Amino acid sequence: MTDAGLLEAAAAGSHAAFAEIVSRHFQPVYRLVWRMTGGAAEAEDISQDAFVKLWKNPQQLRDGAALKGWLMRVASNAAIDRGRRPRAATLEEAPEIGDPQARPDAPLDRAEAARLVDARIAALPDRQRQALALVYFEGLTNIEAASVMEVSVDALESLLSRARRSLKESLSAEWRELIGGLAETGW
Amino acid sequence: MSEGKEGLPAGDTAREAREIDAVLRLATVPGLPEGAAARLMARIAEEPQDNKIIALPSRSTPRRGFWRMAAALPLAASLALGVYLGAQGTLDFMLPAAITGDVALNEEAPDDLGGVGEADAYAEENLS
Repeated sequence: MTDAGLLEAAAAGSHAAFAEIVSRHFQPVYRLVWRMTGGAAEAEDISQDAFVKLWKNPQQLRDGAALKGWLMRVASNAAIDRGRRPRAATLEEAPEIGDPQARPDAPLDRAEAARLVDARIAALPDRQRQALALVYFEGLTNIEAASVMEVSVDALESLLSRARRSLKESLSAEWRELIGGLAETGW
Repeated sequence: MSEGKEGLPAGDTAREAREIDAVLRLATVPGLPEGAAARLMARIAEEPQDNKIIALPSRSTPRRGFWRMAAALPLAASLALGVYLGAQGTLDFMLPAAITGDVALNEEAPDDLGGVGEADAYAEENLS
């Protein structure tokens, strides 16, 4: 069933339909909020709030096909509103999925590199981090991401460009080491 | 060599983009915490849906009686009579002459009101 069909059924009070919506979209929404909050513990609560808001009033979303984008917009804006700047401790405590292809004998410690990159992404301004998370980590097209952020595609590309530049500058001291380690793992 | 974004040679830009992509792939990919979906559905089960659509009782519409039309008919007839008499000029003697009088003509008005005929006087040779 399409998202629009599920939404219609959920609007009629179907918990099963809403469970399917949760099954489809909770993970990407959580990932986005996790990225936006720098891995804060309340990422789950913020993500839940977006779904509860949808459940309470499904009619507020007129285009069922835009469900995922709507959830991402509501959740990431809520994360920004919380105004919690990421803390290093939260990133270290965050659950993570290890790369099964990472070589244990690689010169670059993969976990350390991940924490370093996470921390630098978390230090980016909110809108740059949001753009980066939507396009790089959630795989949205520039048009879709711009729609979620309610900005023009040009504005989104500008945010992405600044995010990439800021990220590279903030990692400049470790850049060669990161790239060198990646090269040895065959990137 | 062609140039890419930010004035860098296209090859350098592409290499830099590849490097940034590769570094971003190092970032953590968080998984959902254990039982998160179940906790969300438990919360949903406790939350009632807002019923935004309120069914209001239909307002009874008053019957349109004959007297509504009775008021409109003399008004329409009066308008029609006024238009007819005005067109015929039957009652012109009762109206001020400013309305009913002939159009006043200015006998002394020049034929060339636009001044086109005087254009020659402003030709370049006449100005020097």
